[in-house]
Amino acid sequence: MLAVLLAAALGLGGYLWLTTVRWQADSATWEAEARGYADRVATLRAELEATDAELVSAREQLATATERISDLANEKAQLGDENVASQQYLDYQTQVSEAAGAVATAMDQCVDAQTQLIGYLQDSDAYDQKDLDRFSTEVRKLCKQADAAHEQLQRELQQDQ
Amino acid sequence: MTGRPAVLRGVAAGVLATLLAGCGVLPALPDAIPSDVVPSRPSGFSSPSADGELSPDGFDAVQRMAVRIRNVGCGSLSTGSGFAIDEHTLITNRHVVADSQSLEVSTYDGRDLAVSAASTARLADLAVVRTQDPLPSHPRIAEDDPEQGDEVSVVGYPEGGELTITAGSIVDSTTDPLNENLGEVLVTDAPVEPGSSGSAALDAEGRVIGVVYAKTSDGHSLLVPRSTLQEMLADSGAFTALPPCS
Repeated sequence: MLAVLLAAALGLGGYLWLTTVRWQADSATWEAEARGYADRVATLRAELEATDAELVSAREQLATATERISDLANEKAQLGDENVASQQYLDYQTQVSEAAGAVATAMDQCVDAQTQLIGYLQDSDAYDQKDLDRFSTEVRKLCKQADAAHEQLQRELQQDQ
Repeated sequence: MTGRPAVLRGVAAGVLATLLAGCGVLPALPDAIPSDVVPSRPSGFSSPSADGELSPDGFDAVQRMAVRIRNVGCGSLSTGSGFAIDEHTLITNRHVVADSQSLEVSTYDGRDLAVSAASTARLADLAVVRTQDPLPSHPRIAEDDPEQGDEVSVVGYPEGGELTITAGSIVDSTTDPLNENLGEVLVTDAPVEPGSSGSAALDAEGRVIGVVYAKTSDGHSLLVPRSTLQEMLADSGAFTALPPCS
């Protein structure tokens, strides 16, 4: 009986020794594993902080870039408006110049014709009355055209007011 | 003399039974250490997806869908706003595009888009402009008209200047004091200026709830409601080609 008890006690002791050794080894392995992951976490945290800092910087740069793009888009739009306005003013000035040129030409023709008519009238006996009447009608027509050109110029000028 | 061995046997049997029973509470041997304990994907982690919510260039979707419209008329120049409703169609006001010799459309980032056609609605201060070049982005149109008190954001180019987003709320609905539109129009306190005409009015989810078309003397602005916009868009005869200025 004592032998059986002794054997049982030895068996139990052996099992407990084996269990202790295995758990010690297991614990050491887990601890090594945990320390490895802790180191990895520390590394990743450092990388994350660096990445966060880069992200903040990138966001700031993006905000600056988008703001600059908006500014440039606005500047381009304003310049486009000014360009169109300048072109329209140039077109207007061209129209006015053309109208003024037409007035000057028509007035010249009117004055020349009237001068010529006065000359004819001063020596009216030398000309046929019908020819004088016809020439007088043509002169009036020329001067009416000059008046029309002048009125057109006035209208062009009033558009700018 | 027979009692003593019997007692010893009983004690031994008791000890043995105790030992055997004790085996049940002995610690088990540890399991083998797994080779890898890192999960393949941490729980609760989701990767960002490129499903359209991300901006390709840092600008909001509401900025990307807004356009600036330059109306070059016969001796006149004016600017207005508009917004895309699909890749080649944008909405603005009739009075923004009226009496034009040419229309020039530019985007939030300053790109010029060629215009292919324009048409105006007879019964509302609305116009449709088609572009040859694709528009950068377009919002969804809300399913219902907003209620009084609902938030409103207005995205446009007040005074022909920078792209601006102003916020306010729906304060009322009324019949059109300008007689430009049939039916009721919405009143909002979101600030607008000349040049904001044609701006999209958006709800809190960025959906179109109306189109800015006028400003009242008390500083409020008037919106063509999205229901009128959709009715006009659904009616093929509602829009007629825009005649050039003379």
